[in-house]
Amino acid sequence: MKTKILLFLGMIVALGACYPGGADYYSDIDVTYTNYEEDFDFASLNTYSIPDSIVKVEGDLAEGEDPEFVKEPYNTQMLTRIRSNMDALGWTRVENPEEADLVLFPAAWTNTTIYYWYDYWCWYYPYYCGWGWGYPSVSSYTTGTLVMTLIADGEDYIDPTRVWTGAINGLLSGSYNSTRVNNAIDQAFTQSPYLKTN
Amino acid sequence: MKKILFLLIVCSLLISSKSYGQQDSYISVQYAVSFGTGDLSDYISKTSWRGALMEYRGAVRSNVLVGFDVGWNVFYERKDYDTYTIETQSLSGVQYRYQNEVPLLASIDYLISSGNALKPYIGFGLGTIYSERATDMNLYRWREKSWQFALKGEVGLLYEMNYSTNVKFAAKYYNAFKTETLDTQGYFSLSLGMAWDL
Repeated sequence: MKTKILLFLGMIVALGACYPGGADYYSDIDVTYTNYEEDFDFASLNTYSIPDSIVKVEGDLAEGEDPEFVKEPYNTQMLTRIRSNMDALGWTRVENPEEADLVLFPAAWTNTTIYYWYDYWCWYYPYYCGWGWGYPSVSSYTTGTLVMTLIADGEDYIDPTRVWTGAINGLLSGSYNSTRVNNAIDQAFTQSPYLKTN
Repeated sequence: MKKILFLLIVCSLLISSKSYGQQDSYISVQYAVSFGTGDLSDYISKTSWRGALMEYRGAVRSNVLVGFDVGWNVFYERKDYDTYTIETQSLSGVQYRYQNEVPLLASIDYLISSGNALKPYIGFGLGTIYSERATDMNLYRWREKSWQFALKGEVGLLYEMNYSTNVKFAAKYYNAFKTETLDTQGYFSLSLGMAWDL
């Protein structure tokens, strides 16, 4: 009887050991999100403006301080990709934002999440502490996000109005991967066919 | 003398030949392969190759066995990069879908033929199935879990290898009824294993 129960428990342990895993590559974690104002008529407009730097959101900017910007060459690479997608949708870029129908504001930030376990049981049960050995056990990961926002302003609006948001997010691998970033930016515009203008 | 010799030979043959009688109580451990139907199949279309089952059957009559089943089946599918849209919002990425089904059932089996080595049977089960569904996308997990009232129908074969060991093959259908959290979950299961008389 004990043998049969042990055999069943052994099968359960084997099942647990071959439990399907998740992502194997950083690119499998990448996501692209978009949202838009349904009543807004994008097709009737055709000019946009975009700054030449992507602001880096740090979260601790004091009043009067200058914001940080994404470093080169990453800044130019991302802006070039965004511009080429807007051009492909029929939009014409103008330098002066006051003359543009829409203004595209890009912003980026990174976020680091740290896990730590300080329970001394980590010595005995590493699974309890995220498979980290020892005491304390620490692990972390960093994600990067790029947000692109199209703002409509002018006489028809009391306040500037957000009419489209595109956001890309992924796990940072330690080195800048332009392929992943470009693919994600392209996807944001691919899944926004309503942005196409005449 | 010849008659006595003849009787002795017949008796020795009877003693040495195998005789198949009623099925005794047994414990069974089986490996199970499962296929989702309905909502489960819509969520995960792939076959589950990760399944284990333990059964106890007690003989209440020569051809009627009652007992309980405990099992675990793991369904898994990696959904390729795709876009999911709700109203004006769209999210693109790779999804990892998991569904765990843990049946806990009281069962009754009726042996159609119990006088041979090969014993076909039909069975019925009633109890509960714990269903846990998890969808991973980016670094987030959406989880739904529910205890669902369940019924099981089964047909199978018991093959008696020797006086205490059987090979068991069964085809089952599990139906876990709708709750507030999850729709009805149904799946077919083919299982193969051993049954040891108690």
